[in-house]
Amino acid sequence: MSPGERKVLVVPCSGIGKTYGTVSREAAYEVTEDLRPGATGLVALSLLVLGDEDARAAVRAHPAVTIDGCKLACAARMVQESGGHVTQGIAVLDVYRRNRELKPQGIAELNEGGILLAHAVAEEIIAVVDGVLAGEEGSTHA
Amino acid sequence: MPDYLETTVDKFIFSVATDRLYSPVGVWALAEGDRIRIGMTDFLQQRSGDVAFAEVKPEGTAVATGDEVATIETIKANVEVPSPVGGIVVEVNPAMELSPEAINQDPYGDGWLAIIEAADWPADRDALLDPQAYFEVMRAQAEEEAQKL
Repeated sequence: MSPGERKVLVVPCSGIGKTYGTVSREAAYEVTEDLRPGATGLVALSLLVLGDEDARAAVRAHPAVTIDGCKLACAARMVQESGGHVTQGIAVLDVYRRNRELKPQGIAELNEGGILLAHAVAEEIIAVVDGVLAGEEGSTHA
Repeated sequence: MPDYLETTVDKFIFSVATDRLYSPVGVWALAEGDRIRIGMTDFLQQRSGDVAFAEVKPEGTAVATGDEVATIETIKANVEVPSPVGGIVVEVNPAMELSPEAINQDPYGDGWLAIIEAADWPADRDALLDPQAYFEVMRAQAEEEAQKL
């Protein structure tokens, strides 16, 4: 991913062993692999935690949407601590509150509610991505 | 603003407000005349996780001591909250409808659950723990939880 390339980065939380972490990652995959593969790039949170120079350079050069499964907001915090800019921070719990029928369960494999919740999160991400690429920037909160 | 007892277990800090009484399972009761404000302790909210939804029994509901007065859905589990006092629910915290995260943010303040008009507060009061006693119970519970990690 070159710095001049027009892309929005998606940074999901790790949340290993946590349902909301799985939802976070599934939403990120859906956006970067299926919904907006050319317009987005996936950054592994672990690389930012390790201080990987390529990952840090990427978040400094591109707007980032972070997805966090809990209030620790590790993804948003690591993007900021890496010198990047969180264009929009999305909390899975907030999306669930707006879609109570989508109760997520499961870790390795999400139940139907979890899959649909990941899709709802993905839809919120692509709305931000499309807005950024069209020239309007979302609000920043982490 | 109450004073707090605090302890650190593993990487977590837990506080206990010193101006109220407690059930051993982590529900506090603060007497305001015959009306008792209730809520979850800091330990219970931290152990339960981020709150997604809180459903408190509506105003007018009669509850006996130990009856479920609220169900809290968190990112980890559904938590049934037993009432530390018997009586009638006379007020439900309106914040529980739209911003139940207040339970996590301010468990002893804005995150209160309900106010109950006590049927027999002296009897319920005698069965509850004072802050120091609950502090010891809570610390033992927290240390037990930490050993599972």
